[in-house]
Amino acid sequence: MNCESYEDLLGDYVDGARATDRPGDERLGAFERHLAGCARCQALVADFTSLRDAASTLGDHAPPQRLWTRIAASIEEEQRRPWWRPLGHAVPAWAAVAAAAALVLLIGGATWLAWRHEPAQAPQQAVSAPTEPEAIPVEQHYEAAIAGLQQLADSQNASLDPETRAVLKENLAVLDRAISESRAALADEPENALAQASLLDALDTKVALLQDTVALAADEGNPSDEAAAAAKELN
Amino acid sequence: MRTADLELAARCRAGDADAFEELYRQHARRLFSLVVRMVGSADEAEDLLQEVFLQAHRKLAGFRGESTLGTWLYRLTMNHCLDHLRGRQAKMSRATDSLDDEESAEPMAPAPAVPAAISRMDLEKAIASLPPGSRAAFLLHDVEGFEHREIAGILGVSEGTSKSQVHKARLKLRALLRR
Repeated sequence: MNCESYEDLLGDYVDGARATDRPGDERLGAFERHLAGCARCQALVADFTSLRDAASTLGDHAPPQRLWTRIAASIEEEQRRPWWRPLGHAVPAWAAVAAAAALVLLIGGATWLAWRHEPAQAPQQAVSAPTEPEAIPVEQHYEAAIAGLQQLADSQNASLDPETRAVLKENLAVLDRAISESRAALADEPENALAQASLLDALDTKVALLQDTVALAADEGNPSDEAAAAAKELN
Repeated sequence: MRTADLELAARCRAGDADAFEELYRQHARRLFSLVVRMVGSADEAEDLLQEVFLQAHRKLAGFRGESTLGTWLYRLTMNHCLDHLRGRQAKMSRATDSLDDEESAEPMAPAPAVPAAISRMDLEKAIASLPPGSRAAFLLHDVEGFEHREIAGILGVSEGTSKSQVHKARLKLRALLRR
């Protein structure tokens, strides 16, 4: 076995793992025997230990006192804002309306998103929708929202510069990978809470990215005819 | 611990402003430090942490207590930081490294050991130069003291990926700090 094959164990060793504490762990035992005769690994262990010790004693950066005041004010402001404008930046009215329309049309997810964004008040608005949200898995609400927003974003893609389009496409691909990985983990362990949370986070982020795409396209100039038509259709 | 978290989350959901402030006071200092180190600027960190707590306020309804509130907040924070860094990367030319940089930083030739006493300033500077993915894993593991299992949950990666990212970060820091 060469040094590289022990990479994970070298980290474990620096973190305090020892073969004497893990009698059944033959790889760790083998690594310790390798370590005894390998100057390279000994140097890595010494340096990584110094790094770890120094990192663990780095001090905190204190947040300024005004931060809590800002947070409290922004929560108060959000509680007064319509549920379909949760984003922190200004979104052109037509885009906000189009995005909201997409959500309303396509989801019970509107119900779910409203519930997520306005836990105190929104459920009353959302419950009046004719659907029965509690009977539909949360993931389906997201999928419906994503499908609608994706359609809207696709229709406006042309107004973005090619580099931005490429970056957005790349970010969506990263999110799609995260969604696939979470689903694969859930296929193995349906009750895995971390995988469930990761999946919902990734879906949530994808919705936010698509909303941002719609807003960004509008910022690049007037909405394209196709986008305007899509917005009209959604209304 | 979990019971206390669930009670605090329930009070926040019920609109108890004091409870949400209590949540902020419990975690703001460590989260702010983490964000400053992730994005390299106290001003940006302030804006980001404001957004994180606003997002936390919206999402508390979904907190079920499977993890601690602290871990849950770390997950929101790191997602937000990494999204922010991706956005920053998109605005800059594509010359910067990717979030999933696979580059190994270990030099081939033997070099002096890392000094026994590493200065805080040198270490902070070296950490700032890490690619975002390995910087996140290193900060959570070596600075914040999370285990790889917890980091996997926070970053949404496997435990093996967390170990590998910390290893890469340590290799790169070692190369930067030994002269």
